[in-house]
Amino acid sequence: MMRRDFVTLTGAGLLAGYAGFEGGKGERRDHTGKASVAVVKAASYSTDLAKRMLDGIRECGLDVRGQKILLKPNLVEFDPATCINTDYRVVAAAVEVFQTLGAAEVRIGEGPGHRRDTYALAEMARYRSEVPRFDESFVDLNRDNVSPIQGFADRGEIYLPNTALRADLIVSLAKMKTHHWAGATLSMKNFFGLVPGCVYGWPKNELHHVGIDRSIVELSRIFRHNFAIVDGIIGMEGNGPIQGSPKAAGVLVMGSDLPAVDATCCRIMGIDPARVAYLQMASDRLGITEEGRIEQRGEAIREVRTNFELIAPFREYRLA
Amino acid sequence: MGNLYLEARLDALRRTQNPDGGWGYFSGKQSWLEPTAYAALALHGEDSADRAWKLLRSWQNANGSWRPSTDVQIESWGTSLCVTIAAARGEYGEPFQKGVAWLLATEGIEANALARLAAKVGLFKPDRNLSYRGWPWKPNTSSWVEPTSHALVALKQSAPKIADRRLNNRLLLGHSQLLDVRCRDGGWNYGSRAALEVDLPSYPETTGIALVGLQHHAAVADSVELAARMARENVSPLARVWLTMALKLHDREAPEPEGEVTADLLLTALEALSCAHYTLFKTGGEIGT
Repeated sequence: MMRRDFVTLTGAGLLAGYAGFEGGKGERRDHTGKASVAVVKAASYSTDLAKRMLDGIRECGLDVRGQKILLKPNLVEFDPATCINTDYRVVAAAVEVFQTLGAAEVRIGEGPGHRRDTYALAEMARYRSEVPRFDESFVDLNRDNVSPIQGFADRGEIYLPNTALRADLIVSLAKMKTHHWAGATLSMKNFFGLVPGCVYGWPKNELHHVGIDRSIVELSRIFRHNFAIVDGIIGMEGNGPIQGSPKAAGVLVMGSDLPAVDATCCRIMGIDPARVAYLQMASDRLGITEEGRIEQRGEAIREVRTNFELIAPFREYRLA
Repeated sequence: MGNLYLEARLDALRRTQNPDGGWGYFSGKQSWLEPTAYAALALHGEDSADRAWKLLRSWQNANGSWRPSTDVQIESWGTSLCVTIAAARGEYGEPFQKGVAWLLATEGIEANALARLAAKVGLFKPDRNLSYRGWPWKPNTSSWVEPTSHALVALKQSAPKIADRRLNNRLLLGHSQLLDVRCRDGGWNYGSRAALEVDLPSYPETTGIALVGLQHHAAVADSVELAARMARENVSPLARVWLTMALKLHDREAPEPEGEVTADLLLTALEALSCAHYTLFKTGGEIGT
């Protein structure tokens, strides 16, 4: 057990507080039915990603006409030797797709957890040079105006960026990666980047002390109008989310039910979602994680499953 | 070049000051402590800096800490920047004294008694030395490089005006923690030298910031050399200004400033500071043992 595990365990009553968790306050969805998740093959970033994405979104029946969309990529750090961030071609394709689908506004926002110079990071990840009109549409969520939201775990309130709070739909453009504390980082964990550094610092250590799993669920509860597109074309295995190795899975995974999308990603990665704490906390409260209740569109999981290497503490998470 | 570079930035700051006296991170956005504090230091001696200080003083909490903006009701690391401004202005009254007292009483939660006991009996393996004491971004979280470095600057500048016996020991413990979390390559990232016992790399911007907090410290000669190498590389504008200030404060030559004024007001203020008033971060010699 390392320091951060310890402070997490001692910090906030951890998962026990979720016994009475009721899901989204004032805006419950019905999770007694099924969720649709689209798995679309994309062998490389040279594929026509916009077309693949459009196919998947239509499979999920998403209507964004007239809506203000915030695309939230996973932009964390940059290391040319590996693949930490959502690929710029996925971000560019998403901009094109949501404009094509009739969104009133498409913005990109991110608040990296380690690096303070967000624009420099976006430059290194080639977002600024390759995503059309990136600087015009981008908001550094670490330094946005903020508003308080009541009811965040045991902390009472949390300050969140107005750009995210005012979006009609947040699209989590996540990266398919293993995570050395949470097991896997996918569309729900990606919401850590919505928490403003100008209030909580770099890293956003408040979330670690509340508990990583609990914070993941709380943020997904607050931001309920969302859609996920997970970049699994090349993901990360091993010691993710920063120091792992590239792993080609050749898929984009999409859907409106984020726990269902993340559970599907786990199955593709060879991880048992029933072992991932935040997915269990979210299951039936924020979405669906049982395989039998997820309506799989596009590719079948067995056709695209490729086991991601897991570090020692998570090897028992391997899906049978 | 240097004067034109500086004047362009000072002009930009004068033009973008909000009616309340503060600056946002970007023009037209709400005022925040961080860009306001750096802009006030960059414009030190001007009326606009006085207006900024008036606003900042209104953000001090009853316990001596500062909040990061009008509406965000938390205690913040920015207290260090405000104590530094007060010292620069020679204002050592109650706001300054209460700010210093808050800094002396604030430390990262990772070194609390429970954590130290658990580490001692082998319940967990800490990734840093829990005997040391750094500063957090906000209370009830762990300490990290940037707030620790700014607290060291503020407290060292306060030392001549503070008769608190805790001060010297706290400075020693803060220095020790910064050195303890230094990465194997000699620089600093946000404050973790390794994850799961795998080394993490340093970042140029936080290496510069850490060196600002560790002026005149004999143990950082190699880190200063690293900072000089980083500054010659193609680093980000933010990294360049912190490396520049660190090198100058360590009496080393810094790269010539370059580039256009951007919409980023935090960066604009720091770029201006790196030309002239970076000396307001200057601290005295090595502390006693």
